[in-house]
Amino acid sequence: MAKGKEVVVSPDDLSKEFKEYSVAEFFKRNRQMLGYTGKVRSLTTVAHEYVTNALDACEDSNVLPELLVEIQVLENGHVKLITEDNGTGIPKQNIGQALGKLLAGTKFMQRQQKRGQQGIGAAYATLFSQITTGKETHVKTSVGDGKVVECDVSIDINSNEPVLHNVKEYSAKFRGTRIEVELAEVDYNRSTYGAFEYLRRTALANPHSQITLVEPNKEITVFPRASKDIPVKPKKIQPHPLGITTSDLMDMAGISQARKISSMLQNEFSRLSAEKVKEISSMCPNIDLDRAPKNLQWSEAEKLVDAFKRIKWIAPETDALQPITTDQLRKSLKNLLEPEELRISERPPKVFRGGIPFMVEAAIAYGGKAGAVGSESKGEALRFANRVPLLFDAGNCAITEAVKTIDWARYDLKDWENMPVSIFVNFTSVYVPYTGTGKLAIAAEEEIVTEIRNALMECARGISTYIRTLKRAADQEERKKIFFKYITEVAQCLDEITGTDRKQIEEKLRKIAVEKTSILVSADEEEAEKDLAELEKAAEKEMVEDGESEE
Amino acid sequence: MATKKTDDKMGQSRQQIGKKIEEQATGIVADIMKGAGPSIAIPVRGSRNVEFDKEKKKIVLGDKIAHRYLFNVGHARKFMQTMLVASYVKKDLLENNLTATLRDLYYAKKHTIAGTKEDTIDDQKESDLAIVDFEVSLDTFREKLNLRAEPKGRMAGSVIIEDRVRNKVDSIDLSHMGSGGWAVPSIVEQIEFKKVDVDYVLVAEKNAIFDRLNEDEYWAKNNCLIMTTAGQAARGARRLLQRLNEELKLPVYILTDADPYGWYIYSTMKYGSMALAHESDRLGCPNANFIGMSISDIEHYDLKAVTIKAKDVDIKRAEEMKKYDWFKAKEWQLEINKFLEKKIKAEIQSLSSKNLQYISNTYLPEKINNKDFLP
Repeated sequence: MAKGKEVVVSPDDLSKEFKEYSVAEFFKRNRQMLGYTGKVRSLTTVAHEYVTNALDACEDSNVLPELLVEIQVLENGHVKLITEDNGTGIPKQNIGQALGKLLAGTKFMQRQQKRGQQGIGAAYATLFSQITTGKETHVKTSVGDGKVVECDVSIDINSNEPVLHNVKEYSAKFRGTRIEVELAEVDYNRSTYGAFEYLRRTALANPHSQITLVEPNKEITVFPRASKDIPVKPKKIQPHPLGITTSDLMDMAGISQARKISSMLQNEFSRLSAEKVKEISSMCPNIDLDRAPKNLQWSEAEKLVDAFKRIKWIAPETDALQPITTDQLRKSLKNLLEPEELRISERPPKVFRGGIPFMVEAAIAYGGKAGAVGSESKGEALRFANRVPLLFDAGNCAITEAVKTIDWARYDLKDWENMPVSIFVNFTSVYVPYTGTGKLAIAAEEEIVTEIRNALMECARGISTYIRTLKRAADQEERKKIFFKYITEVAQCLDEITGTDRKQIEEKLRKIAVEKTSILVSADEEEAEKDLAELEKAAEKEMVEDGESEE
Repeated sequence: MATKKTDDKMGQSRQQIGKKIEEQATGIVADIMKGAGPSIAIPVRGSRNVEFDKEKKKIVLGDKIAHRYLFNVGHARKFMQTMLVASYVKKDLLENNLTATLRDLYYAKKHTIAGTKEDTIDDQKESDLAIVDFEVSLDTFREKLNLRAEPKGRMAGSVIIEDRVRNKVDSIDLSHMGSGGWAVPSIVEQIEFKKVDVDYVLVAEKNAIFDRLNEDEYWAKNNCLIMTTAGQAARGARRLLQRLNEELKLPVYILTDADPYGWYIYSTMKYGSMALAHESDRLGCPNANFIGMSISDIEHYDLKAVTIKAKDVDIKRAEEMKKYDWFKAKEWQLEINKFLEKKIKAEIQSLSSKNLQYISNTYLPEKINNKDFLP
């Protein structure tokens, strides 16, 4: 399975390659960087790109998401993936940009906390389809103005420019986007890495959405909406210099309207004053900041980002965070997992790297449908970043690291991996420090791991209390069963000896048994244990010493 | 007339014990009606509640009492089993004047508990232990509960006894029992000694020795009663021995192998055992004497050539016994020390290395005439 590590590409390699190839060509050659490794994983990755876009589109237009995901296996072995949402739709003039040009996303500029953050996802799916099947991606979209646009999209690999065919425009009542893409070198199954699990987890982290999945065998699964509250739109903020990568900066430079790099920095970043521009300039004397942003080179962007990291910044604002919120998360987990017990942490935002705000929402669900799907009593750790499920590369993730280092035995969850337990962690931040381009794992930085641990332990304490209560009840129930078992026999014997009505004795004994089992360990019970030890010791030696036989 | 009297006495005792059982059960029912969890008080058996009464020369039970509770997970099943024993003894045995073996009781009370897959008694060990618990809790012994232990042991000698099976009375002449001798029954309370014409009782732990002595007409020639216990003495044999000693004032001499196990068999007959300390009064024979064989015998009768090397278990046993209060007599400490030092043991049959009748003609008469005994 596609659990392999991200291929590490050094910035030097990247910049060299960027010079030699178009972005499209580059990623065609490095598809593993985007999560296209392994057949099942590749399909999940495509579904992920469309689903995250769809959810963002719905939030943008303030509607409750209704998502349809259909997976068909075609006769030639290809897989057709259809996704449909009821979101904003794509304006006709943006279709090519959205689906046929890599690194052309619009989200980035807003610096809003979004699911997809790089302008690669959906366009790369188009490219992936093109590479593996030679087919174009069919799109039907409408912004809700009564006009529907349908067309086939592909990418000119050499120029990284979109190519649109068969453009049809007609009037119909429709709003949203429907994308049909045909893929090869992919596979569908219900494993932890498959689309089913991806959608289940997406539903968990997005209680306001309703997701319908049609599997190749035509089985329809609905992950029902748990809440009608659309998440509050996060405040749009400019990016903070600390939360930026080289490719982010290149992306910004490519679409910036500023005339100079220096003014782009000063106007399009948060907390970046003229003072700071001067400081940057002095740190990077070889970069001419008076040039137009579109002339910024990869190696220069790299140096600037490096400089950002060495400068003291005022921390980013924290009110741009968009957590699921405890209420919504509770509704969602109750809705889908129907757990016997559910604990959700409630913790304020924290910062990492000296100022980037983040927030951890942790939950532990026990019993009911909690635990991995399709296996009885199997624990699962569900990782999310900004509500997006992280299915792959668990080994390199801060959440995994936190889960691994907790002493679960202290919380009666030592064997949680074999218990009906769902551990849920959502990491929320405007800037998620992913460990790779594929957005699969959160970097295990100390502040992050510690915060996740604390949040999880907070939940675990509650679960532990519940498990102990449960054990006690089970013990009591077990004890009662043992006593009840012998009561009839004892009552009958006593009747035979004394002539007292056995029914009367039995009834009374049952009553006492119930009373006795409602107290866990009373003093006289401890006494009884001592007595038992005394009597047993004697019994052991009994027969041996006396040489009595079984006549 | 005598018969009638015994019958009355037996019947009375039967009624008494029946009443005792009823009282115990009534007490339990009263507790239950008061809303208290029922329990049975049982004197603790085993080494921690056992002591040696030097005056009475008996191993006796201390006064430590433990309780068996119905409403305790560890006790519940045993409590139920004890109740099964109680009802069986009262209703099936005593009321019908029938005796039964431990195994009979086991089969009579073994059944599947309604609504479960569990049996009331899994194997006989469980009911055997419940019986002991029950007899101790009533401060009585199983024979009085009409429960028979394994009959073991045989006798021969010039004694006439009367035994009875329910109401049939048999007169038995122990001098006319042929090669096998008379088999000692498990319950001997009803036996009456009619004509006793012997000077002492000689007990051999081994069947083979009994057969040797019987063949040699040792009992006729020496005017004694001979008996075999066939290993660790059964309760019937022990009780009868006590009666012979205490009621008829006959001296009792005991002959075992020269090893710790043989000596322990002797001590059990004489002082009682730790496990059945509650029955020492009834089963012990404190006046019995140890005739042999000892490690000193091996030296004295020059049996070194026919000894066996002691095993680890023998040595371990000897070390334990050395600490028992009832082996504290200096003669015994000497014997045990000799054993531990030489690490050899000898069987009674080793005397046959001299000649087959050496035991009858030389060893025993010599020992008895010289009163060469150990305490």
